[in-house]
Amino acid sequence: MIRFVLRRLLAAAVLFLIVLTLAFAVVALAPGDPMAPSDPRIPPEQAERLRALYGLDQPLPAQYLRWLGAVVLRWDWGQSYRTGQPVADLLFDALPPTLLLAGAALLAQYLLGIGLGLIAAFRPNSRLDLSVRVASLLVYAMPTFWVGLMAVLVLAVGLGLAPAGGMTSAAAFELGPAAAALDVLAHLWLPALVLGLSMAGDIARYTRSSLIEFQATEAGRAARARGLSETRILLVHGLAHAAPRLLQLASVSAPLLLSGAVVAEVVFAWPGLGTATLLAIQSGDIPVVLAATAYGAVLVIAASLAADLLLTRLDPRIRVE
Amino acid sequence: MIPVVAMRLLAAAGLAAMLGWGCASDIPRDTTRLTVGMRFEYPTPNELIGPATLTYSAIGNQFFLPLMAERPDFRDGPPTWAPALAADWEFSEDRLRLTARLRPDAVWSDGEPVTAEDVRFSWLAQTDANVAWDYSFSKESIADVEVVDAATVRFHLDAALPTALADVSTGLILPKHAWEQRPFAEWRSDPGWFFENLVTSGPFLLENRTPGQELVLGRNPNYFEDGLPRLERIILRSATDSAALTNLLLSGEVDVVSGLGATDAQRIANRPGLRLIAYPNRQFTFVSWNTRRPWFQDAETRRALAMAIDRQAMVDTIWHGYAEVGNSPIISSVWAHNAGLEPWRYDPPAARDALAAAGWTDGDGDGILDRDGVPFRFELATFAGAPARWDAMQMIQADLRAVGIDAQPRRVEPGALIQRMRDKDFDAAASAFAIDTSLDLRYAFHSQSIPGGDNYAAYGNPEVDRLLDSFAARPDPSAGLEDLHRLQRILHDDQPMLVLWEPLSLAAFDVELESVAPNALSPLANLQEWAWR
Repeated sequence: MIRFVLRRLLAAAVLFLIVLTLAFAVVALAPGDPMAPSDPRIPPEQAERLRALYGLDQPLPAQYLRWLGAVVLRWDWGQSYRTGQPVADLLFDALPPTLLLAGAALLAQYLLGIGLGLIAAFRPNSRLDLSVRVASLLVYAMPTFWVGLMAVLVLAVGLGLAPAGGMTSAAAFELGPAAAALDVLAHLWLPALVLGLSMAGDIARYTRSSLIEFQATEAGRAARARGLSETRILLVHGLAHAAPRLLQLASVSAPLLLSGAVVAEVVFAWPGLGTATLLAIQSGDIPVVLAATAYGAVLVIAASLAADLLLTRLDPRIRVE
Repeated sequence: MIPVVAMRLLAAAGLAAMLGWGCASDIPRDTTRLTVGMRFEYPTPNELIGPATLTYSAIGNQFFLPLMAERPDFRDGPPTWAPALAADWEFSEDRLRLTARLRPDAVWSDGEPVTAEDVRFSWLAQTDANVAWDYSFSKESIADVEVVDAATVRFHLDAALPTALADVSTGLILPKHAWEQRPFAEWRSDPGWFFENLVTSGPFLLENRTPGQELVLGRNPNYFEDGLPRLERIILRSATDSAALTNLLLSGEVDVVSGLGATDAQRIANRPGLRLIAYPNRQFTFVSWNTRRPWFQDAETRRALAMAIDRQAMVDTIWHGYAEVGNSPIISSVWAHNAGLEPWRYDPPAARDALAAAGWTDGDGDGILDRDGVPFRFELATFAGAPARWDAMQMIQADLRAVGIDAQPRRVEPGALIQRMRDKDFDAAASAFAIDTSLDLRYAFHSQSIPGGDNYAAYGNPEVDRLLDSFAARPDPSAGLEDLHRLQRILHDDQPMLVLWEPLSLAAFDVELESVAPNALSPLANLQEWAWR
């Protein structure tokens, strides 16, 4: 097991280096000058000065080696061209809100997806099943930004059931710990639900098909022959049967959740990695774009690794060699 | 068992949060504070290393003051200046020395007095190569800043320029006693340090900061103006999107929003309890015709293009009326605008006639005009991420197609397009300028600004050069009004750029608020006077 983990970690490190190199190459070779002054009154010498300060006057290979060395040795991503902040600090502030949102969305998508899948599997090919399947396809097909906008308009602005944006209320720093936690929860549930909805349909369809498939297996028939109730068969044995596949879906949905978070964060004014990345892309803030890409890669690689490790625990048919 | 309990607790907490939120809207308004929604980033209180954006400066001006503050009276005449940290000032006879006396009651929020040493320290920082302030060029005419005594400072100028007061007052006065301990060479390496060592001289101080979310401004008890600010606390909430800001306003989570888009403004207009205001800003959007390309070499053709494009339709459909058709790079809200210019009316038949007179005919019958074997087909570029301009490009394409011109819109990454425009490696491109009240337009139209500069059209006209130089050298800008009118007349006739529109800035606020008066200089102008009725 340890050897497996080490091997996967090594592969992850290599993959990470490849991502870093590709990201740097794509950004470096893209046209445009990130130091070009936005105000035409600012003389070109200012851009030269800033290029020298940020090391952009060096040859590209030297820039790459210096950047990679700083990242690998010190986790130093340089400074934002736009705000001057150390990028590591900027993303350190932005990462927790994104992880919270993505985590809550993951929870929402599994709760919703498994729930709907169970309902459908109880009465396969019934009207209820058909409704769940159609609804699953519908939410899967709807773009997150549209669902988000509608949710804000109807549930937040229209009905006042949730805040229309942000992660906390104004001046929430004055709240006590319990009130602050509830305040975050009040801001979290709607964006998490919207973000989770996109993949919930997929989870529902996988859950349904796994459960129906389980009922036809020997194990399913044996459980029924032992007189177990249908509920117990599906909830306990069926879900155990479906768990490995659902877990695999979690690793697939990690990158989708991250990319969806960019949209959800903008719609809900959620101050996370997506918002920071979008601002960086819009303003040609290369150090932030590179770091955000790398952070995204780390999250996806970590999610995939965690899912693989859990899978070996959940599914006895998988042996670690 | 545990997961079930956890799930129930989670559900209960979620329900409580929802219900709690629903009930929160019934809480009576706290009239000592105000919440403002805007798009901003405030990574450091040190403006010399912060982003050069209007919202950033607007916030910075709540903490720090300049010596003099520009008045928003640029419609009436050349810029005038109101006392800020300087109580008064006077020029020497030769206008090569400017002596300013500081307000005796100006103190930093920690109780230390604001002194002439602070002014000199600020100038040294503004001009330091390691600090690399974007606007250090505005200090080029200042040879030295002399501390006469604690309350008097003298600026020694290289030349008697009309921009002297603007040059002196550009930039805020920084606290020497709090910031001198950090060498200039280290300022850029840790912008956050300035939060930890923040003392202010403006109406507010910083109570709390949540990066990416909000800034909480509290009343500065040491501020010199009696009774101001009127509110105890201003909470600035950040959102990256105009729609998100609008939703926050409509749901009552913020009381004021600025930086609204035209589409979102329509959602707010006529809403009971809210007031929408549109006010001029300093921007104008234009299309530059690269005069080095065969299609745009003669003014007659360029004038025909102006008549072929329906700019009023753009203002009506893209801006929903929250803009004006542009007619000159000296925009209509500025004192020197030449209101006597007859706008190029949208007139496709006249455009076709003018094109024919310029030699453009459909010789090969393919529906596209040509001249000397060159078809009138070109790339019309604009910045990626500028949806209004992109929509305008589609409209221009359709308008020009109707007179036999094939314009191909293309979106280009902003940095790349600016570089191409400076290198004159483009056909036609839409961009925007923000005019400053010095009205020094040499960067945009002087022939010296063609190589690598922002005279994108590569437009050269000796008379224009002469007028630009003459105006820039006048100590009194108002005496150059005739020059500026003539300049605009020539540009209007030559059409190196077609000014498309002058957008209006949009803000909205609760009708119970009073004294909210954003202007082109700042969306938070006179924030210290805002209050609930």
